[in-house]
Amino acid sequence: MADLGVMALMLGLVLSAYSAIGAVVGERIGMAELVVSARRALYMTTVAAAVASAALINAFVQNDFSIAYVADHSNTLMDRAFVWVAFYAGNEGSLLYILLALSVISAISVWFAPKRLARSMPWTIAILAIIQLFYFGVLTFAASPFELLDTIPLEGRGINPLLTHPGMFSHPPLLMGGLIAITIPFAFASGALIAGNYGDDWIDVARVSALIGWGVLGTGMLLGAWWAYTILGWGGYWAWDPIENVALMPWLVMTAFIHSIMVQKRRGMFRMWNVALLNIAFVLAQLGMFINRGGPVVSVHSFAASTLGVIFLVFMLASLVFAFALFLWRMPQLKSDRAMESFVSREASFLINNFLFLSVMAVTLWGVLYPLFSDLARDVSVSVSAPYFDRANGPVLLGIVIMMGIGPLLPWRKASARSMKQWFVWPTLVGLVAIGVLVALGVQRPVAIFSFGVLAFVATSIAEEWWRGTAARHRSGDNWALAWWRLVNGNRPRHGGYIAHLSILMLALGIIGTNFYQQRTDGALALGESLVLDNYRIEYVDNGDSSRPDRIAQWAEMSVYEIDPEDYKQEISFARAQGSSGFTLKDSTLRPNDELIDTIEPWHGFYIDFNMASVRSGIRSTVVEDLYVIPRDFLADGRVSLAVSINPLAWWLWASGPFFILGTMVALWPQAAVERRPARKRLQDESEGEI
Amino acid sequence: MHGESKVMASRLSFVIIGALLFTLLLALSGCIRESDITAEQRAHQLSGELMCPVCDGQTIDGSNAQIAVDMRLKVRDLLDEGLTNAEVRDYFVIRYGQEILAAPERSGFNLLAWIVPVLIVLGAIGIALLSIKNMRKSGLEAQSIGGTSVAIERKQDDLSDYLVQVDRDLGMSSDSNLSLNADSNSDVLKDSKETGISEKANS
Repeated sequence: MADLGVMALMLGLVLSAYSAIGAVVGERIGMAELVVSARRALYMTTVAAAVASAALINAFVQNDFSIAYVADHSNTLMDRAFVWVAFYAGNEGSLLYILLALSVISAISVWFAPKRLARSMPWTIAILAIIQLFYFGVLTFAASPFELLDTIPLEGRGINPLLTHPGMFSHPPLLMGGLIAITIPFAFASGALIAGNYGDDWIDVARVSALIGWGVLGTGMLLGAWWAYTILGWGGYWAWDPIENVALMPWLVMTAFIHSIMVQKRRGMFRMWNVALLNIAFVLAQLGMFINRGGPVVSVHSFAASTLGVIFLVFMLASLVFAFALFLWRMPQLKSDRAMESFVSREASFLINNFLFLSVMAVTLWGVLYPLFSDLARDVSVSVSAPYFDRANGPVLLGIVIMMGIGPLLPWRKASARSMKQWFVWPTLVGLVAIGVLVALGVQRPVAIFSFGVLAFVATSIAEEWWRGTAARHRSGDNWALAWWRLVNGNRPRHGGYIAHLSILMLALGIIGTNFYQQRTDGALALGESLVLDNYRIEYVDNGDSSRPDRIAQWAEMSVYEIDPEDYKQEISFARAQGSSGFTLKDSTLRPNDELIDTIEPWHGFYIDFNMASVRSGIRSTVVEDLYVIPRDFLADGRVSLAVSINPLAWWLWASGPFFILGTMVALWPQAAVERRPARKRLQDESEGEI
Repeated sequence: MHGESKVMASRLSFVIIGALLFTLLLALSGCIRESDITAEQRAHQLSGELMCPVCDGQTIDGSNAQIAVDMRLKVRDLLDEGLTNAEVRDYFVIRYGQEILAAPERSGFNLLAWIVPVLIVLGAIGIALLSIKNMRKSGLEAQSIGGTSVAIERKQDDLSDYLVQVDRDLGMSSDSNLSLNADSNSDVLKDSKETGISEKANS
């Protein structure tokens, strides 16, 4: 198996080198056959990468511990389902997976590229082939997943226990796939620039591939957050860890890109800007690969660390130089067709939103690099973690949400005072009323109240837009549901965008709720004892052992009761006097108003070989709030020590996921091939033809 | 557009939006209960601001390492002794160095960590506004030379009443009007609405 894998990788190396050289030479000497052959070689690299991947996966299936990578990342005890996870669980395998993803999407995008891009295709093919060449090279010479061991061990080391979670089937592949997918729009834009194809021919392919990559990366990050929340027992879902940040940064820039590309598509503006955004996103994705492969910053995701840092650093710098040299070379040709007419227009709001996204990206980058900078500049180590990023990025993120309510309501070109009034009255009113009501209800935390007002503002702006469009169609005879469906179908990019905006609002709701209103207590319970926090009483009723040869594991069964604080007045005032948020009860006799609402089973495992603990939190989730129980440890005296929290609105974080995917899909869904061209459009084309 | 149905529509939308808002607020007020700031909560918050010395990039609040457990207990003890949050942080900085803080202090060299983001955001907004201004100016210059697309669009604006009429006559009223791909739906809606109003004003 190992031989087959190595041979496939070497074949891929040769094919990608041939493809790159063939495409460039064919284009230069005008030999079309050579370009076609280069294109086919690019398709064949997919086969090479697939064969190598299949060889590695098969080695896992066969428990072939003669291969170091297999012995390091699986054992015979591993659930067979996790073979797929083990494939990318380590450095070498994940590189092979990235190469597989890259070669597949390269082939698909080149296959489906429209004919009118023929002039720039050789360059696009060459860029894709060179990037593949880099990965084939690394996998052949520096980090081979098929390295053989001198002595074959009887048993492997096993898979990293943190990875044995259903979320791991999709989180890492989506994340890595999303990051590498940025290569596609970058290759098409760069190809067009090199070929001197300055028009907008490339933007449809770039938009579609960018949206796919963006959606995949976003979904991957969300799944990662979900994984951290349900499995890692960190009590959180986003820690602003360097590895999370390097995935977030290109995603932010891609978010800016998928907005501003619409301005180019519709108005022929922002040409330079869109190319610059793709360049930045691509280089940031390479930075992500570098930091992930043994970069110089400390991270919780350190299992992928390796000594490949230098190679990836060089590749990142090379991409940086290439991207911006090309950009500067072709910059004079990237002119806008039209001028900006007003500060108050959709174009202008898109530009402002773009710069806000870029500043969140730049601030995050500064935060990631500051510890290095401090080390180098004055030899003092510092840490930059969540409290810094929350504070530095929070206000700008809120600003972006505000722009999300304003931008889509503004017309292209120029907004008149009347239309402004017409469209902004309701959202503003609803936002202000929301703030007023929350204040009247005595809700604390001014910043959060203001943020809720902003969410109400944006939600109303979307509702208003849908309401008016649907009502207009309803008047012409469609029933409401059909009217709304037709509205969305009439302009999928726009309404897909609204659905994605709604998902961001849901995400924001969860972020604000959990960040500002979390309640927390720690405690240790013996069997039969209860812990009370706010309106919940958690009784420890049973436990059991689920150890296996590689782990010591226990679970606890706990009954969750909803209580009436009146029944517990005495205990609550006593706990408050002690400075505690919650308290434990020795006696588990139920009080009059206690009501059993759920049973949870938190689980705690310790993996001996890895010297690593892994937990499953017990979660009771409702639309309103999560009761979240982390089993910190099963103590020697039979008690279990718990960290219990109430996370308001956490449910919305995960509810946003389906809407995010749906919105992306709607925006991606191709428009009908033959577009009707009403009189207005025809006249416009003719009048433009006059000059 | 008929005046009556417009009033009806806006009333209906008011009711619907109001109902949505009401449910949202009920949901919010239900979950955001008041809670006293207990010493335990302060300790929890402080734990989120201190790094775990032996873990990679985790705060002591999130870590299950023994030292993190001990440090959490120490934080609570120090608070119970009456120390302020700043004093507790100092206690750990003296023992573990600045690295123990999850966010750099806002003083001395570390001010840089906090000032740079402000400069980045202000700079970004400044560049955005400046470039919009420049893009407008270059457009105006081109316009004075004559024959720009801006001028064409102006001309089209003047024609827009006529164009809407043409669309209508061609049987492309309301519904098909919305599927114009030159502009987005709502723009067309807005346009036609505004035209409607101006027609009325003219008559």
